[in-house]
Amino acid sequence: MWRRGVPFTLERMITTSALTKSYGDLPVVRDVSLRCDPGTITGFLGANGAGKSTTLKMIVGLVRPDRGTATIDGRPFVQLPNPSRVLGTLLDASAMHPGRSGRSTLTIAARLAGVHLRRVDQLLDLVGLTAAADKRVGTYSLGMRQRLGIALALVGEPRALILDEPANGLDPEGIAWMRRLLRDFADHGGTVLLSSHLLHEVQASADHLVVISGGAVVAAGRLDDLLASSSIVVRSPDPRALGAALTAARIDHAVGPGDAFTVDVCGGRITTEVLAAVARDHHVLLTELRPSDSHGLEQLFFSLTAYRPANPGEVAA
Amino acid sequence: MTTSFPLATPVAPAPSPSVIPFSRLVRVEWTKATDTRAARWLLTLVALSTAAILTVPVVAPSTFDQTHASYLRVAALGLSILLPVVVILTFTGEWSQRSVITTFTQEPRRNRVMNAKLAVSLLMSGAGALVGGGLAAAAIAAATASGRSLEANLGVGAVASYACYVMLNVLAAVALGALLQNSAAAISATFALPAAFALIGTASSLVSEWIDMSTPWNWVLQNDWGGHLPQIIVSTVFWVVLPLAAGLWRTTRRDVG
Repeated sequence: MWRRGVPFTLERMITTSALTKSYGDLPVVRDVSLRCDPGTITGFLGANGAGKSTTLKMIVGLVRPDRGTATIDGRPFVQLPNPSRVLGTLLDASAMHPGRSGRSTLTIAARLAGVHLRRVDQLLDLVGLTAAADKRVGTYSLGMRQRLGIALALVGEPRALILDEPANGLDPEGIAWMRRLLRDFADHGGTVLLSSHLLHEVQASADHLVVISGGAVVAAGRLDDLLASSSIVVRSPDPRALGAALTAARIDHAVGPGDAFTVDVCGGRITTEVLAAVARDHHVLLTELRPSDSHGLEQLFFSLTAYRPANPGEVAA
Repeated sequence: MTTSFPLATPVAPAPSPSVIPFSRLVRVEWTKATDTRAARWLLTLVALSTAAILTVPVVAPSTFDQTHASYLRVAALGLSILLPVVVILTFTGEWSQRSVITTFTQEPRRNRVMNAKLAVSLLMSGAGALVGGGLAAAAIAAATASGRSLEANLGVGAVASYACYVMLNVLAAVALGALLQNSAAAISATFALPAAFALIGTASSLVSEWIDMSTPWNWVLQNDWGGHLPQIIVSTVFWVVLPLAAGLWRTTRRDVG
């Protein structure tokens, strides 16, 4: 990936350690530990109600965890002297005073952050709200509020961003624009943590992934690694010869789909290249040789986030 | 659309980022309390309702003593109707609009934000007292122009007591707003609770003199502190100190959902 010189190289911009929160008897977040480094976009993926927003709110001190800690740039968020200069947040674009204009809303945030007020107009221009700047936020569409929210997150010239469902309400063009903006932010050494309940959204914008289900992290890692196929499909016009060759090479294989064989990658030890070599050595003709899952992440997502009721018999809101 | 985002480029950390100065917090909270159309209407209504009440001693001289101090007291009563609503909204509005999410992520030391709102409320009570004084002066001028002669009995003590009364009413509203964190509940309570205690006070002189705000705070308004200081202090603790302390405690702990 193309990357310009990173101006500062502090690792671990955003970390959480065993964050846990219950409301009454209902566990909402359980032992969530994650880590986001400069130069990366981490997608925080989970179904609605999986605990994403509560986790993000615990990171910025809006919700008190029952247990666990979170740090930004090495210290708890509430100890940052002027937090919006370090971490920009977009947690709820509807949480704005409807009677204030977009410009006033942004100006108040800029004053508090202590940045030059010139930045207000520049940011309004960046998010495409210049024409609507003096209209009241109450008249904005959800997409416009989302754009204003992105401008609010950027107001303090932060080094990290936490965005809760930033694609909500944006049109396809706006979503593509936001992805480019976040990619550019990360390529310049920024750290991004964004949540989404939409798999393809995360897949298109993130390079790291944390999947949460029922309040707990069920998968985490580089997107490429998580996407990597766990098995290979290999097919020959002479299945019997191919099966014999695989057995001779001590490669576990299962029959199917059809008359093809499925081979486990065994943690990366078996690759398509290895199988091609086996076939060549045994003079078996191959007509198909490919990673088996074309929708790996999708299967992963659905298998990991399948709805599991905490209390059978109760219906989740 | 642009393909480069210079504004969204993260910058290297400043050598030593400083805490947001308290004066900046106060300025921002003052802006938030006064910059919306609704807030300006409400502030206009505060002035209008005070002016309206001040016409009573002008047109109906028999209703109030025709003295300068008496006119100032009428202004104080006028201010005490809607000024408390303005300051309540300063504390509760952000919970209703949920903009606390932005406020408390920009300054997570919630006590500092609350202190700034408290400072804004005190500034408003001072500004309100000034406006009320101006309106009282206008009413006195109108009464004088109609040929009456009013007793000029205003001393420093009477003016200070007037300002003190306005401030006490504002602080009681602040305390309810900070405690209840809900506009409708706090505004209802600021009208209903004093009435309820006044009603209980009719049955118990202990309540009417020590707890119910109307009697002890009326002594303040009348500049009649002599021998009443203990009652004034106790009722102030009850209406201001205790609910405000509980409200600050609740605010620092409340989860922002």
